[in-house]
Amino acid sequence: MDINQYSVEDFICDESFQQYCLGTDPAAIAFWENWTSNNPHRSGTVQEAARIISVLNANQGNLQVQINHLKDSIDRFDLLKKALQHEGPKTVRERAPVVRSRLRYISGIAASLLLLALAGYFLFRPSGKKPAQTGKPVVVNTTPIRSGNEPRKTVVLPDGSVVTLRSNSTITLANDFNGATRELTLSGEAFFDVTHRETQPFIVHTDRLNIEVLGTIFNVSAYPGDAHTETSLFRGKVAVSVKDHPEQKVILTPNRKLIIANTMPGVKPANPGNNLQVVSMLPDPVNHKAKEIAWVRNRLKIEDESLGTIAGKLQQWYGIKLEFADEEVKTYRYSGTFESESVIKALEALQLSYPFNFHVEKEKIVIGK
Amino acid sequence: MTEQEQNIHYWQQLREGNKQALFELYNNTYFHLVRFGLKITANDELVKDCVTQLFLQLWDKHNRLNEVTQVRAYLFTSLRRMLIDKLDYHLKTDAAISRLSGKEESEELPYEEIIIQVQHDDELKQKLYKAMELLTPKQKELIRLMFFEGLNYEQVAARTSQSIKTAYNTIYNAIKVLRNTLR
Repeated sequence: MDINQYSVEDFICDESFQQYCLGTDPAAIAFWENWTSNNPHRSGTVQEAARIISVLNANQGNLQVQINHLKDSIDRFDLLKKALQHEGPKTVRERAPVVRSRLRYISGIAASLLLLALAGYFLFRPSGKKPAQTGKPVVVNTTPIRSGNEPRKTVVLPDGSVVTLRSNSTITLANDFNGATRELTLSGEAFFDVTHRETQPFIVHTDRLNIEVLGTIFNVSAYPGDAHTETSLFRGKVAVSVKDHPEQKVILTPNRKLIIANTMPGVKPANPGNNLQVVSMLPDPVNHKAKEIAWVRNRLKIEDESLGTIAGKLQQWYGIKLEFADEEVKTYRYSGTFESESVIKALEALQLSYPFNFHVEKEKIVIGK
Repeated sequence: MTEQEQNIHYWQQLREGNKQALFELYNNTYFHLVRFGLKITANDELVKDCVTQLFLQLWDKHNRLNEVTQVRAYLFTSLRRMLIDKLDYHLKTDAAISRLSGKEESEELPYEEIIIQVQHDDELKQKLYKAMELLTPKQKELIRLMFFEGLNYEQVAARTSQSIKTAYNTIYNAIKVLRNTLR
């Protein structure tokens, strides 16, 4: 049968196409990669077929994708091991057991780091690095923070939370931000990585919604003029309520998003509940990562580059200044591939290979020894 | 060389520090492990993550590994232990209760339950449930063998004592029903 005439069913039932989806047979992979790139007009049919195959095999995954993740993590692990062997050669013999147990601890972190990268987001964050500011409220500038035409702009809020704004977005902090509550107003789209504070709720106001969180990672898209406001949650828990209808509270769980239709100004919906919708986030058919945050996700492929060069790339991507307080740190060299949604997670991943320190200030991040 | 002999060979080379042997072993066992894991818990992300972690651990302790003759069984046991460790308290108590009530045999999750549970979208779950209801037991069995167990038409035909052509037609018709319902 002529492949050009294939229906969705024909693709699904084709053994070689199945092998291509699973990444098991090099000849099938080469053939279908070539065929799909030559027949872009069939990509809708191909994607539907691939999706149904994935549903029927319970998302077993693609062998090539999975083995590349393993290779990356082993590279990183080996680098880490080498770095640890270099420190303090005089004392290594007597301290051997200590060094080994520490290595195991750190390799555990490296492994969990990888797991998170696989899931598409970096979750953990050592608490030691947080600026400790509990107690006294900090006087903040309530001038709106705007991204303007920049594709992304990253700012660190007074509580240590990191926000990356998408283009043409604005956040405005409340006068008493970092007092009893942490409240801000968003217009546009932003990715939030919120510092966990049990007693100090973090609240994002948009035109239509109030989003209340304790400590979590989420993305809000609320451009005025867009048909919908979307809230996507990656970790933790958020409570979303509709403005003017606080009784309509929705608790979002990870990997779900809430969509609400934006009404025309002046038009009151009869029943606002009908406009609310909670759905799963959309995984990209190619790399299985959530599409909602493709705009902020950065994939860094580093081949023996200095931290100075890498910092330049991070600075350009996330739209925040990175400075060095120490010249030697600048020359540390790295190799590997990793993905992260925030500049903090990217630096933490790099820290695993060569220890360095960094601290965040409002407009910049300073890297030192 | 059979797959088992290959695996023993790769295991031996891995113990000597051959990284490529680790990847070959992964190639040989990845889908077996993922399927095995999914029958314990229908959480594909967790299962895939644990498989990666398992191989990372093998690499970490490669010079302390013992000689093994049942490589796949060894990996299955390690993966199972890892998954049980990570499953939350409720699942563990559930498992303990079903063991107490003597339901040990039925610990393995049935195919339909696995493919429905791994989906996060409620609408898709519903549709998938409905779609599976529409299939005959024979159709379901063939779909499971081909897509979940990863058999080809020849193996499916041999396993179900029918011709390759019949197997193909049965699966094709089932896919048609599924696609219509999932749309």
